[in-house]
Amino acid sequence: MINPRTQELKNSRAESWEPKIAAFLCNWCSYAGADLAGTSRREYPPNIRIIRLPCSGRVNPLFVLKCLMDGADGVLIAGCHTGDCHYSEGNYYARRRFAILKKLFEFLGIDPRRFQMAWVSASEGDKWVKVVKELVEEIKKAGPILAKS
Amino acid sequence: MIEELRNKARELLKTKQVEAVIGYQRASDGLSAIPCVIRSEEEAGRLIWDAACVYNLCGYLKDFRAKKLGIVAKACDVRAMIVLISENQLNRDDVFIIGMECCGVVDEKRARVSGRDGSDISSADKCKSCASCVPLAYDCLIKEKREKAKVSEDADKDKYEPVRKLEAKSLSEKSKSWKDEFKRCIRCYACRQVCPMCYCPRCVADQFMPVWFSKAGGIEGNFSWNVARAMHLAGRCIDCGECERACPVGIPLRDINRKIEKDIKELFGYEAGMKTDAKPFLACFDKNDPEDFIK
Ligand code: SF4
Ligand code: SF4
Ligand code: FES
Repeated sequence: MINPRTQELKNSRAESWEPKIAAFLCNWCSYAGADLAGTSRREYPPNIRIIRLPCSGRVNPLFVLKCLMDGADGVLIAGCHTGDCHYSEGNYYARRRFAILKKLFEFLGIDPRRFQMAWVSASEGDKWVKVVKELVEEIKKAGPILAKS
Repeated sequence: MIEELRNKARELLKTKQVEAVIGYQRASDGLSAIPCVIRSEEEAGRLIWDAACVYNLCGYLKDFRAKKLGIVAKACDVRAMIVLISENQLNRDDVFIIGMECCGVVDEKRARVSGRDGSDISSADKCKSCASCVPLAYDCLIKEKREKAKVSEDADKDKYEPVRKLEAKSLSEKSKSWKDEFKRCIRCYACRQVCPMCYCPRCVADQFMPVWFSKAGGIEGNFSWNVARAMHLAGRCIDCGECERACPVGIPLRDINRKIEKDIKELFGYEAGMKTDAKPFLACFDKNDPEDFIK
């Protein structure tokens, strides 16, 4: 059921498992917000792998799927607050799209904690830290994704 | 009804209003219907209409782009055309819709098992929750005379009842039962080929750069394929049920489609193919769309 590569990953992770989380951040707000958290020397768990995109509207549901199926334990999408998107409306489209995906995941038996979204502005370094901390906690509770498949 | 349909087709072809008429003809088994393309008046006698006309013929429209065509269409087929028009895949002026008043079509799979004598064949599941027997748009309407065309008795019952039952199961139950379903998927892509909304010249499933999901028949690739298919139909699927009918291994694809349909209706008040002037669901937004799932 699981391909050999992911099986290998699973074994290597069994003893000291730490969640791996893919995070898609929009360039203009959330990436800058995460950067601010860094430059202000705020600490947060290193489980997050940030992928910078122009806008949250750029995130394709296939990105999320690919991450989860290739072994990420969770996926986060972060963008500008509504009304603040650099491209005016990208995050409005993203919001619709992922409201549906999130519900579909739950329907198909994927723990809804594994897929989350947040609005983080460029000045919200503290919010970024909080979002990541909570997310990592929740994914730790949800456990390794491969153990579930 | 059939004669009326044939005469209409003859008239359209004679007056050169259309180049061809897409409709149904009898299959060689003498019972089922198969699609046909009628190009001349003499051929019009082949056209039939009855409860065996299950298929959604809209998929053929894309093979004849920019030609004026006539098409025999039920209410659900017309919904598919409305979506195609809103997505600029079809020009309204290029089709002449011969709308058929419809009392429901047969459940093909069940009919095959029980044998058909034409009397008590159950209608397809999609028809049980269908609210209208008359298409929303048409250029001419052929009325049902046989018996009074009626809206199905179940239509006002909660049509999402089965979806709600599935939703109520626990996460692990859901995970297990869907894995059991998807495990059987043989990735034949029949669900995609038959869908009137799947018109992309190059499907994500066929792309190599990047490979979005594994092409081998493992559970992960199968899961991704089925989620991707469903997501690409979000707000576009008109529940014609063709995908589920075509699936050779019997995965309940309509359950997934209808789950999405239900969420879209409840959260956004949107229904695909119900308004001729609506924008595609994911190509528009409302500033007040719900966002309680976002931190
Ligand atoms: S997904 Fe299935 S039910 Fe929906 S439009 Fe396509 S073939 Fe019809
Ligand atoms: S028709 Fe059924 S078996 Fe074929 S790809 Fe679609 S879901 Fe899989
Ligand atoms: S630029 Fe930040 S969400 Fe669009």
